[in-house]
Amino acid sequence: MYLLRWKVFLKERTVNRIGVVNLKNLKKTKYFFGIVIITFFAFTAFSSEGVVSKIKNANKKTDKSTGIHKSISLPKNVVKVKEDYQGGVFYTKSRKSEITRYKCSSCHKTQKKVMKNAANITHGDIQVVHGGKNKLECNTCHSKNDRNFLVTAKGTKVDFDHVYNLCGQCHFRQKKDWIGGAHGKRITYWAGERAVKNCTACHNPHSPLFKKRWPKTYSVPLK
Amino acid sequence: MSDKKKQITRRSFLKTAAAATGTATIAGCSGGLLGSSEAFALEFQEYFKEHYRLMTDEERTDTIERLERLSEIKKNTTIDIDSTKPQENVLYGYAFNVTRCEGFMECVDACVKENNLDRESKNQYIRIFEMENGEMLPDQGDGKFFHQVPRKGHFYMGVQCFQCENPPCVKACPTKATWKEKDGIVVVDYDWCIGCRYCMAACPYWGRRFNWNQPQIPKKEVNKKQHYLGNRSRVRGMMEKCTFCIQRSRKGKVTACVEACPTGARVFGNLLDPDSEIRFVLKNKKVYRLKEDLGTDPKFWYFND
Ligand code: SF4
Ligand code: SF4
Repeated sequence: MYLLRWKVFLKERTVNRIGVVNLKNLKKTKYFFGIVIITFFAFTAFSSEGVVSKIKNANKKTDKSTGIHKSISLPKNVVKVKEDYQGGVFYTKSRKSEITRYKCSSCHKTQKKVMKNAANITHGDIQVVHGGKNKLECNTCHSKNDRNFLVTAKGTKVDFDHVYNLCGQCHFRQKKDWIGGAHGKRITYWAGERAVKNCTACHNPHSPLFKKRWPKTYSVPLK
Repeated sequence: MSDKKKQITRRSFLKTAAAATGTATIAGCSGGLLGSSEAFALEFQEYFKEHYRLMTDEERTDTIERLERLSEIKKNTTIDIDSTKPQENVLYGYAFNVTRCEGFMECVDACVKENNLDRESKNQYIRIFEMENGEMLPDQGDGKFFHQVPRKGHFYMGVQCFQCENPPCVKACPTKATWKEKDGIVVVDYDWCIGCRYCMAACPYWGRRFNWNQPQIPKKEVNKKQHYLGNRSRVRGMMEKCTFCIQRSRKGKVTACVEACPTGARVFGNLLDPDSEIRFVLKNKKVYRLKEDLGTDPKFWYFND
């Protein structure tokens, strides 16, 4: 069986053998040989298609309406991001569709209703570990006036779906990287229209640092 | 030329002779000793198939049908083997953010499941090294850590096959069983690999994995979406490696490790698309590659925030 597997190798060898120049007259062919070698080196120097030069030469915009891109549709519940990335429009997952108790105004109505211990019962699980020494408060990010919205330090209302505009106030570097593609990640597909995860898909906004935990698996030494 | 002729005649002679014997055997035991005669016939045809690169599209469809049927008969599992070709104008590239990775190893687990790796020997394509701050090369790190992560004063570095643009493993293979596809993925034709492990020795990155034993995968966990050059079933004595999840990436999906990473430390995309994430990383971040001086030209970059 293994012998049979050599057939490709043998085939290629046959081709190589045909390709060899028959040097009958070495004196004459010396120059020829020299030229061949020089051309060979020149050729390899110019055609050294390293991956870096390939990348540098690839500047044509990808047409998202052709090939593999065409067959991929956007995931469900995405919204258009309010800023463009280098390739134009892109999308992110809607946050509102994931918050089970949205709209907040269904409890937080304008009229005051005093309920004992209400905050503890409804949001008691929330621990704010965000902002270091100057710990953030609920209303640093949640609008006092319109509970269905977030709010920036300057008082601009921010939709939950566009939370990147809120986080980006402090984490502007991360936001820039998120728009470009060095932070966060795409949803399932590298091809097709660009759809990425929202900040809150990976970070718990109330305590955004990843918790220490056991790794999912372990490795044994390589043999 | 006469050499070649001789070879072919000898080969075709062997084939005919073997086929004759085979038919005789099938007729003889008709499904008793060697399992069903259908399985035997299929395996027999499999045995004499061409190298994947030399197959016509028709031959490829045939072998895939045979493999799918064989899996049904022998393992009672319906699988779907795919042979999607490389796309035009696509060259896959990968970037790994050493600042973000926290050593959770979700990627490793996802990779094992996606690619039907041997659970018995705990075969894994990805290795995560725990490195002390200031260290540079994974050789210095700890690849076998098992404690709560992230550990203070440490960072993590993932290593897998880098799909070199100038892959030394390909040059080393005596049977041409491994090669680089047009979209830059280095693959193995498992049926042409003779298990000599030359490629393993040639790879400077420990990118290759060898099956010392018959891979064992719980039947429930078998990933049925397979690619001929990717996660289809391997047997003992075959070389395998990370293929950037060829069965996923050629369908437009990100690799399993990228999808599983909880910290977004992994970036995957098309190097020839100037707007892609990977191009953004290469343009805007400080990137470096491992052992660049060897000239292997890997398509896998490390970067930090
Ligand atoms: S990393 Fe190793 S196995 Fe992968 S292409 Fe490079 S030399 Fe080959
Ligand atoms: S182990 Fe297989 S793929 Fe690697 S060099 Fe040997 S024949 Fe080629």
